Amino acid sequence: MLEAISLLSNALIAGVLLSIAIAIVGSLMLVTRSNYLAASIAHGSYGGVGLALYFGISILLGATLFALALALLLAFLTYKESKRLDILIGVLWAVGMSVGIIFADLTPGYHTDLLSFLFGNILMVPKSDIVFMLFVDIVAGLFLFIYYHHILAVAYDKEFALTRGINVRLIHTLTLLLIALTVVMSIRSIGLILVIALFSIPPYIGEKLTNSFTKMIVVSGFVAFGIITIGLLLAYLFDISATAAIILFGALVFGVVFFKYK
Amino acid sequence: MQSVAIAIEGLSFAYDKEYVLENISAKIYENEYIAIIGPNGGGKTTLLKLLLGLLEPTKGSIEIFGKPPQKARHLIGYLPQHINFNLDIPLLAREVILQGRLTLKKRRFNEEDILALQDIARSLHIEHLLEKKIGSLSGGERQRVLLARALVTNPKILLLDEPTAAVDIAAQKEIYALLKELALTKIVVSHDINILLEGVSRVFYINRKLFIHDNVKLEIEAKDGHFCEMELFEELRRGCHA
Repeated sequence: MLEAISLLSNALIAGVLLSIAIAIVGSLMLVTRSNYLAASIAHGSYGGVGLALYFGISILLGATLFALALALLLAFLTYKESKRLDILIGVLWAVGMSVGIIFADLTPGYHTDLLSFLFGNILMVPKSDIVFMLFVDIVAGLFLFIYYHHILAVAYDKEFALTRGINVRLIHTLTLLLIALTVVMSIRSIGLILVIALFSIPPYIGEKLTNSFTKMIVVSGFVAFGIITIGLLLAYLFDISATAAIILFGALVFGVVFFKYK
Repeated sequence: MQSVAIAIEGLSFAYDKEYVLENISAKIYENEYIAIIGPNGGGKTTLLKLLLGLLEPTKGSIEIFGKPPQKARHLIGYLPQHINFNLDIPLLAREVILQGRLTLKKRRFNEEDILALQDIARSLHIEHLLEKKIGSLSGGERQRVLLARALVTNPKILLLDEPTAAVDIAAQKEIYALLKELALTKIVVSHDINILLEGVSRVFYINRKLFIHDNVKLEIEAKDGHFCEMELFEELRRGCHA
């Protein structure tokens, strides 16, 4: 019983930190229409997991460096090859995953925990990841605080933002780097495959229920925490996978809001 | 003698070696009202982007009150084409207008910005729209909000790209009436040839080359305003001085 309470309290702390990241970075993703880019970074960063396993370094470090490099590459490609960006995103997505699989295969031994990076388990988040999550939340909060109005100007009308002298490339690049950090911080709790769903659903609901970006962030934070908590409860009650329960409950809420406000 | 607001000299611009604008020269004076018309792909929007400093000329030069466009951005208000906006974003009209006060170094709004917002909202009669979500406004209301965003810095030149493209006829008339009242240099790119009846001082017909027409309104009145767009373009091209 004590062990279960300890696991749940750890999961709830991770849930709070995850909700803050979802509120800020998920909302940024939605208003800058970067969900597809974020999905590419999320899936592609599996390459970092495989490389970290092969070279015997920390998986968190390997995935972070790989995801950041991927984000920089995508930011560069957005400006250089914007006409064929959809194809490039798809290729990078697959290349990253393939690199991960090949290097994991080349690493001696049997790696039982590889699936946990794809699908995550919020009940098994280690303390070191909690510290990293806190760090990413602080970075996300600072980015939002410093560039709030510039981000919104770029998101609403990029061309006008350029005429005001706003550094649109810097905002875009920093947004992608932040997405990369957020993806990595969610690896163990939600997993690379499911992370985009959880980062899209609460901000979408926030966007539909509010008329300002600040309110959207606050509402999506509470919605995210609600979805995570109820998902955890369902997982505990029915003895099912916590991540899958969270995503499915989130999808149910999303479905209700989508059909009500479409 | 009016002073020169914009001086364009031997301007050419090419996308991938294909010239969209060729050897254009013109002077636009302070408080002039210029309509830029011409066929699709003729270079209208490209000229606007060159004036805004978003593109670099392949040849020639542009000066705005004696400065290159990149250094004269604070003197220009801009109303872009309707197609570029993200309408799902939860933004209030008030926040959109204030975006006109942002610069590279300016990331926060102060009391002066709020006063400028209130002033422009009053003069364009849009105070009742300020707390509404931008995506919920009608096409005409949104254009008035975006006009306020372009004017909230008190620019000396106003550039408008198809300001009536996504609005109904009543809103078109309203926008043209608003533009008439504004005392500053105005340059409007438009597909809507009705603009020629709205008090423009000169017409720039652009189809890779520039043809300037000084007295369009009289000719339209003489023909009771019955024009087919292509006939008008052809007539402008013949009657203009290149």
